[in-house]
Amino acid sequence: MAEMIKLSIFRHDPDGDGKPFMQAFEVPLLQPGMKLLDALNYIKWELDGTLTYRRSCGEGVCGSDGLNINGVNGLACITPIEGLKQPIHVRPLPSMQVIRDLVVDMDHFFDQYRQVKPWLQSDSPLPEHERLQSPEDRERLNGSYECILCACCTTACPSWWWNGDRFLGPAALLQANRWIVDSRDEATGDRLDQVEDAFRLYRCHQIMNCMDACPKELNPTAAIGHIKRKLVSRKS
Amino acid sequence: MRTIKEPGSAHSGLSDWYWQRLSAVVLAVLLPLPFFLLVAVYSGSVDQQGLLDVLDHVASRVLHSVLILALIIHAYIGLKVILEDYVHVLGWRIPLIGTMLVMMSGFGIWWLALIWAWA
Repeated sequence: MAEMIKLSIFRHDPDGDGKPFMQAFEVPLLQPGMKLLDALNYIKWELDGTLTYRRSCGEGVCGSDGLNINGVNGLACITPIEGLKQPIHVRPLPSMQVIRDLVVDMDHFFDQYRQVKPWLQSDSPLPEHERLQSPEDRERLNGSYECILCACCTTACPSWWWNGDRFLGPAALLQANRWIVDSRDEATGDRLDQVEDAFRLYRCHQIMNCMDACPKELNPTAAIGHIKRKLVSRKS
Repeated sequence: MRTIKEPGSAHSGLSDWYWQRLSAVVLAVLLPLPFFLLVAVYSGSVDQQGLLDVLDHVASRVLHSVLILALIIHAYIGLKVILEDYVHVLGWRIPLIGTMLVMMSGFGIWWLALIWAWA
């Protein structure tokens, strides 16, 4: 008989009368290296079809299945079951409004992402071919462009919990820095203007939960530090 | 939905961040000095008259003044940031920060007066 995995999963149906609760499930360990998403899929397909969660690529690229796993944010699809303390407590991302079970409302998160204007801004005439960049300049984008916007970092940030309506959060600021360091972008001044704010940027107190939570092992704290240094060098 | 109408940047925060770090450097350099003096007194290498001579010296007074100013600036900005973090109602936040500023300024002026014997 297969080894059984114990899970405790957050359930909430906003249409029903009941309060949110944790529901226990037992899932067989189907294969070595089984991921948490496999266990959720097993529950959905074999035990309880009403369990609701987001998933898409299943390999840590789309960022759909960001969850709070045993108290730490991460992607279910790349989190191995082995090594997790059981019962595995699976909750939605912290401080987010729950739509149903493990699905949260991401509108505000993506709205903050849009606020940093995450696209190339340039007044120079369009080149005949592509906008060229030296290998060294391209190297500077490493550690920023890999972000998949799963919100694991932002929803792990206590500053965002307390002031998420104004503090842009680690994910959006990582992307702000991504365009600030991009040699092809010509709106650095505007970008710095837009984040120079006691709440939008300076609520970051280097707690570093973001870099701890990032499933892509990126470092938003360092990116925020870089923006702060750019602001100082602009003023000094 | 938590989406809000975006008010834009207030162009603030940089000076707080800058002064907090600058005052931290000053504190890191100057704060150990009174402790060294204390150790010197307790070890017996400086007597009461020697201590008064050190404190009365104009260089000591200047360093003491810089230390107090750095301490007050650092403490004020640190507590202000904490209040901004946790007190969300403007009707509370602004009076609390204002009260703190008045109390700390008063404390600083009193201490400077002691250093320079204005009192």
